[in-house]
Amino acid sequence: MQEATFLILTALASGSQHGYGIIADVREISAGDVRLRPGTLYTALERLRADGLIAVDREAIVDNRLRRYYRLTPAGSRRLSAEATRLRANATTALLRLSPARDAAS
Amino acid sequence: MSGRRTRSVASPRSARVWTAHPGGDAILEGRYRRLLACYPRFFRRDSEDEILAVLMACARTGQRWPGPAECADVLGSAVRMRLGPGRSSPPRAVTRAIRLMRFGAATEIAGLVIALATASGVQSALVRQHASFLAGHWHDLLLFIELAVPVPCCLWLWLAWANGRGHRWARSAFAGVFGMYTLIVLGKFAAGAAAYAPADLVVVGAQWLIGLAVVLLLFSRSAGAFYRHQSMPRAPARGR
Repeated sequence: MQEATFLILTALASGSQHGYGIIADVREISAGDVRLRPGTLYTALERLRADGLIAVDREAIVDNRLRRYYRLTPAGSRRLSAEATRLRANATTALLRLSPARDAAS
Repeated sequence: MSGRRTRSVASPRSARVWTAHPGGDAILEGRYRRLLACYPRFFRRDSEDEILAVLMACARTGQRWPGPAECADVLGSAVRMRLGPGRSSPPRAVTRAIRLMRFGAATEIAGLVIALATASGVQSALVRQHASFLAGHWHDLLLFIELAVPVPCCLWLWLAWANGRGHRWARSAFAGVFGMYTLIVLGKFAAGAAAYAPADLVVVGAQWLIGLAVVLLLFSRSAGAFYRHQSMPRAPARGR
């Protein structure tokens, strides 16, 4: 799973959000490292919708502009959970191997 | 894709800081709309207003033109949407079939190299077998082979691309082409090609086996579900 996809799913994990909200949230989650642009975001959303990982929750017209709110589907939650577990396992392994205990042993 | 539809009458303002220039929004919006025209029609019909709202929300105060990075992002995204895999990721069977089709395209080049490398042997075998076969005929045949190679090569790649996008016609087209190719292979055996061009026939046989594997993969159950899903019109998320 690409980092942008992971972050989009993470942004939706706490509740439904619209496109601009996802962009802002992804920026916050990544501490400003990932700045999604609208084209990239909507390509990812289109793919995630087609794969059944997210769905449209509701729509609203705000200042005469369409806002569509997206939410995670159960399949999306499972996928995000699996990916987060995998990343955590990799990160744990990396940290263990970098730990001073290992340096002392070698 | 179903979803609730709500309309906010007295809604909070979006995060956008609105431009101070009267009419500036309309000008920028029109320019964004022209930029969004590069997306496929199905996507524009479903999401143009929505992505436009996000573009406008991301715009700087007083911005009149889409920025270079925005243009590059939208154009890149539109190209990926048009040329990339279809609306959903293809299953493993289709992915493997696509890889095999690309490999098939590479075997066309290999076939040309082998044909050129073994040309003199094939020519003398042909002359031995057919007394009426002249050197002029051989040169014409060789030229035809050289010129014709890009056609099947492009056919493999084009059908790989179209199948990756889930076009049902592409699956049928590949099956049709494979059927014709089978007849050509049988014709080559009937014409005694095994006697005068055994190396070429190895390539032809390998291509036939690749084609057979592709057909089996494309018509597998998981691939069938993918093609059905890709050809289904998506239910609009909102009414128009």
